[in-house]
Amino acid sequence: MRFEGISLSQVHDMAWEIPKTGGMLVPGLVFASREMMEDIVHDQALRQVMNVAHLPGILYRSIGMPDIHWGYGFPIGGVAAMDVAEGVISPGGVGYDINCGVRLLRSNLEMAALRPRLPELVAALHGDVPSGVGSRGHVRLTPPEMEKVLAGGSRWAFSRGYATGEDVEFTESGGKLPGADPDAVSDTAKKRGTDQLGTLGAGNHFLEIDEVEEVFFPEAAAAYGLFQGQAVFFIHSGSRGLGYQVCDDYLDVMAAYMRKHALNVPDRQLACAHIGSDDGRRYLSGLAAAANYAFANRQLMAHQVRETAQRVLRLGPGDAGIRTVYDVGHNNAKFENHEVDGRRRDVLVHRKGATRAFPPGHPELPPAYRDVGQPVFIPGDMGRGSFVLAGTPGAMRLSFGSTCHGAGRRMSRTAARRSLRGKSVFAEMERRGVLVACASRKTLAEEIPEAYKDVGAVVDVVDRVGIARKVARLRPLAVVKG
Amino acid sequence: MTRRRFRLLPHTADLRVEVRAADLPSLCAASVEALFSLLTDRRKVRPTGRRTLESGSGDPEERLLSILRQALLLFSLERFLVRDAGAIMQSGNVSLTVRGEPVDDARHSAYREIKAVTAHALTVEEGPSGFTARFVLDV
Repeated sequence: MRFEGISLSQVHDMAWEIPKTGGMLVPGLVFASREMMEDIVHDQALRQVMNVAHLPGILYRSIGMPDIHWGYGFPIGGVAAMDVAEGVISPGGVGYDINCGVRLLRSNLEMAALRPRLPELVAALHGDVPSGVGSRGHVRLTPPEMEKVLAGGSRWAFSRGYATGEDVEFTESGGKLPGADPDAVSDTAKKRGTDQLGTLGAGNHFLEIDEVEEVFFPEAAAAYGLFQGQAVFFIHSGSRGLGYQVCDDYLDVMAAYMRKHALNVPDRQLACAHIGSDDGRRYLSGLAAAANYAFANRQLMAHQVRETAQRVLRLGPGDAGIRTVYDVGHNNAKFENHEVDGRRRDVLVHRKGATRAFPPGHPELPPAYRDVGQPVFIPGDMGRGSFVLAGTPGAMRLSFGSTCHGAGRRMSRTAARRSLRGKSVFAEMERRGVLVACASRKTLAEEIPEAYKDVGAVVDVVDRVGIARKVARLRPLAVVKG
Repeated sequence: MTRRRFRLLPHTADLRVEVRAADLPSLCAASVEALFSLLTDRRKVRPTGRRTLESGSGDPEERLLSILRQALLLFSLERFLVRDAGAIMQSGNVSLTVRGEPVDDARHSAYREIKAVTAHALTVEEGPSGFTARFVLDV
């Protein structure tokens, strides 16, 4: 089959291969239904999967998730694993918002009991958790404190009383990536991050109060502390301006490296350097530092959510029971060990808009989750809900322990605003039973549910292919947007 | 303030901007104005302060990218909003003077967060009727 000049062969009812052509070093592999593929071909995402397949040292396949869409360099929803000895690291394979990710907090509260207090709670959260363009956090970091955040991530937050030991344990990589070097982060980036710690940001970032609507995998739900009818809190944010600046800074470094070493790639936003080179290692140190900032950022917001909810609901920590289920990123590059072509290899896995999804038994999981697999959170749009998934052995076989990260946009921002035809988003969301508090009406209009693919369809693909398993569906009842 | 000289092209997730102008310096100025029109209502920005941006050397795409990145940093680092921009070519560099003021939360509202000006699909083309730039903003 050919779509827009790209050959595609269907290798599973939910998977498509793009054969090696031209300078591609490996084929492409995209997980999607036929119906989704007919949408996907309308932007540049498949071409970007092919471009990524040109990168030196890429192994097995250049992979696209069902929420794939047009990014810069890599597609959003792209996964690429590189041989550590010969491969490259590309900032465009991580994205500007380094370690953007999701934290899920469970509670002892049933939504039926909480519902009458929701307006008061969402207003308090909107007031207490800074959100919106250029928002400033409650913590202003001095230079020495910034160094500690970049080196320590969530562990810095624990040392300052903003985290429990359990928060740290239930964060990917213990909330601290190894190899972080604050000196690999520019002064400009640090300046951008000085007053943004503990802030949500804008765009598709959000804080939500959801109800666990349906449980599909009771053993995993029980391990994660989730039950039907429960109120949970969802936080989606990343490394803020600091991370964006680290990406920008190193795109320039990589461009110079490529000129010096005569590396040619099909898109200048795929700028890269060999993993073992000085420039490659320095970016990886800066990336880890920015990722730690993101862990600390979500941790501070989680701490604030707990404090605010306990204050508004007049409950103690034990009664509210607001505890971290897990915190996992979806924009990162990490050293991992995977089986490739029948042998174990150390590889660097780029995940840009893709979530790590390790299976039961994986040594990096907290002991409480070893029997069921790593929790994975897939935020949908603000009307139709989100999913909790569990990592699977299939993800290790097919996608370097990765799965999708969200619904994926299907409508441009302009088209989203036009589609409203003057209707109020607030009224529309209220009609759907969702309370909304936001900093920018324009952002809100661009984030209407119809602008996104149906997250249920996206999740069905990864569940059927076997690169994650459905655990529970969450229904949003209150949303704070930047 | 100059009239609007840009339009948005289709893009699924981010903002793809097309800007037209008579020459390269004007193109850089119009692109900076477009960037700030996508951030805020420029009509509410008072031209009380000035900043100067220099493109450095390189091809037209590199010069435009450099100017746009510096302009975005004015907002990200200094919370400085641009009302208008004028540019000249000086010793092979584009030298841009922008007028504006720091954010006043009582008068200014931000439409959206612009994370970065990307190099992806960035083009500067010269045609019979002038210059056209296309660039993608990560939002």
